[in-house]
Amino acid sequence: MSPVTLSAPRQVGKPQPALPGGYAGQLLRVDLTKRKAWAEPWTPDEMRELIGGAGLGAMILYRETAKGKGNVSWDHPDNRLVLGTGPLAGLPVWGTGGLTVVTIGALTNGPTSTQANGFFGTNLKYCGYDAIIVQGQAKDWVYLYIDDDRIEIRDAKSYLGKDTWETQDALSRDLGLTGHQLSVYSIGPAGEHLVRFAAIQGDYGHVASKNGVGAVMGKKKLKAVAIVKGTKALRAADPRGLIQCADDIAHDLKTDPSARSLYEYGTLPGVVNLSKMGALPIRNYTTSLTGDVDMKSWEAPRLREGFDHRGHQCNACGMHHCHMSVIRQGPYKGKIVDEPEYEGWSGAGWTIGATDQSAVAWLNTQTDRACVDVNEFGWVIGWVMEGLEKGWLTKQQVGFDLKWGDVAGADRLLQMINRREGFGDLLAEGVKRASEKLGGEAAKAAIYTGKGASPRGHDHRARWEEMLDTATSSTATMETGNPVHQTELGLPARINPFDGVEVAKLVAGCRGRRAFEDSLGICIFTTRTRLENICRALSAATGWYYTVAEAMRFGRRTAAINRATALRCGLTPNLEVPSFRYGSTPHDGPAAGQAVSAQWEKMVDTWYKEVGYDRKGGKPLPQTLKDLGLDWLSKELWGKKA
Amino acid sequence: MKVLKITPERCTGCLRCEIACSYVQVGAFQPAKSVIRVSPFEGHTSYAPYTCTQCAEGWCMTACPVGAITINAAGAKDVLDDRCVGCKLCTIACPYGTVFYDASTRKAFKCNLCGGDPACVHACPTAAIEYEEVATRDWLHDFAAERASHVLATNGGRR
Repeated sequence: MSPVTLSAPRQVGKPQPALPGGYAGQLLRVDLTKRKAWAEPWTPDEMRELIGGAGLGAMILYRETAKGKGNVSWDHPDNRLVLGTGPLAGLPVWGTGGLTVVTIGALTNGPTSTQANGFFGTNLKYCGYDAIIVQGQAKDWVYLYIDDDRIEIRDAKSYLGKDTWETQDALSRDLGLTGHQLSVYSIGPAGEHLVRFAAIQGDYGHVASKNGVGAVMGKKKLKAVAIVKGTKALRAADPRGLIQCADDIAHDLKTDPSARSLYEYGTLPGVVNLSKMGALPIRNYTTSLTGDVDMKSWEAPRLREGFDHRGHQCNACGMHHCHMSVIRQGPYKGKIVDEPEYEGWSGAGWTIGATDQSAVAWLNTQTDRACVDVNEFGWVIGWVMEGLEKGWLTKQQVGFDLKWGDVAGADRLLQMINRREGFGDLLAEGVKRASEKLGGEAAKAAIYTGKGASPRGHDHRARWEEMLDTATSSTATMETGNPVHQTELGLPARINPFDGVEVAKLVAGCRGRRAFEDSLGICIFTTRTRLENICRALSAATGWYYTVAEAMRFGRRTAAINRATALRCGLTPNLEVPSFRYGSTPHDGPAAGQAVSAQWEKMVDTWYKEVGYDRKGGKPLPQTLKDLGLDWLSKELWGKKA
Repeated sequence: MKVLKITPERCTGCLRCEIACSYVQVGAFQPAKSVIRVSPFEGHTSYAPYTCTQCAEGWCMTACPVGAITINAAGAKDVLDDRCVGCKLCTIACPYGTVFYDASTRKAFKCNLCGGDPACVHACPTAAIEYEEVATRDWLHDFAAERASHVLATNGGRR
């Protein structure tokens, strides 16, 4: 008897690969003009190509914000506000509640990629979505309510005028939810009044601060996004492997000398450490000396001891980083504040000459509540204080006198900026526009980049790699970020920080890691392990075999796409310069006499050569794009001949 | 027996225990199915994980009309899925609110100490949850333990 041959089951259509682990599998599209929201599927191929967060956002921005040969502006209804997370969010890897905001921002009128943590990614993914894409503009103020499959665009009139903490309090109360059952990301009065450096804040103290993303949300009349902790399941391709890898990363963070202080104290050690390098910005870059301040009291353990502390960690995180503190003494006694990050201590403190720790901690939380970028806040207020001291601003112009270190006065000015009252209206435009309007000495004292971006809270005159990174960035803040375990990429462990060529090579060499991290839904502090470990976690979650080389290539691909959008927005290489003060030479302190301006051109030239972009037009060269697998972009940027 | 020792002062509200717990419960990361739950206190500034205390009284066990709740090798009260009829009496009987009902499986579910190796303990980054042999100070203990063994021996007195 001949054997029976069974025919294979007939295939219908093209077989779809299974959803990779770690993904919720849908994108949530919200059109505020039409007052409609719907779930859009995305394919496993797209997931592999764009990962999520920064990578996904960059592509959406490039594809959907073009207008003729240019780009829509930040306040146009067609601007997209992508609130993305990534495949690791909601999983047991430390610090995985990540939010990446991608949009055309108000400060540079170009692309943005800015991050916050908390529980955004966790709650959103357990509701079944990997990202929210907001488009259009609402007629009246609304907030977005997400509870599993129930998506509602609700009236937000009763929350108007409330600061971000009050908004979250009120929404939690009104919805009857407590703690992390509800994750709220909202704008404060600053965003409502379209302050150009308004931010988006969530879960009490997590701020996506760069490039006026809060103003974009305000322009869309979207007060808040409220996400109930969803009930859906997330799967991992290799769950036990993922847990093992998460524990390995945690071990690294706890024990590796380069990450350990971050594990113990978050970014607090930055104040003393950077002051020793001359990279702590003091009084609007007018000095690099800490003067008669007792720096022992600014050591991380002492900073923490000064307050009553409570952990306030993000999803699955064991870092002793995000804390709530209660102020013990002084006029703000008893106030609950978010423990300032290093940048809070600098932006709401040293930059404006304030060194009373209780007062700075309070002011820092005031900026989170009003919801502005604390860096730009520092550059604005410091600039006003210097102007009043030197006489190129008058009491009459500002409305009152403001001396170095006057925290109550700085808060008064913050509230004026918030509501665009009096002089606050000009300051709400950011320090670049305000100083250009006043001109003269005022213009020379302002700290910004030519593209209009706000530098991080350091004195970059002693940290050239960050100045170069900020100035050349397409995303309005550092695009490459600090080197982390760069020897893994074949880069030197140490360089001469004041050698422009070495600096440029290091920045170009590290390019890519940050965009990769920001696409995963994870915090940049819990990725301070070898990239190999992060790739392992991603592989365990998704089932892909993801290598360090692919991660770097992915990051550079994202950067190239952002560059294309930025050029369309008119952010060309001639704008890649520091402002007069930003690029000046420190006259005192540890970096005295180190003139970045003398090496600037050489540094930028080297960077362009290393990253493979066209120095003149700014475009990634065809060969670079080809190497990155972006032939389609090459055709669009260079035409058919490329 | 070893019990979960919870130190609320150490909890930072990161919810990693919920993620780990749900993985053991349902084989996926799904905090909605976790049997340890973190509650916020004092607004949003303090947190504490909370789960079944494995109380000696075993109210859930006493209430169960079909003898579906038993004591496992680790000493934890455990729901036998093939016996549970989903009547929810145990969820009402539990004075601590730590027995849950899963509408999708129509069964009760609760902490069973992962059979003696609790996942939440491994997951907690701040050692707010530990698994330790500690003295039981419950005044009801002897009486309760005796009653629990009676319930078990007679299979809830029903069969």
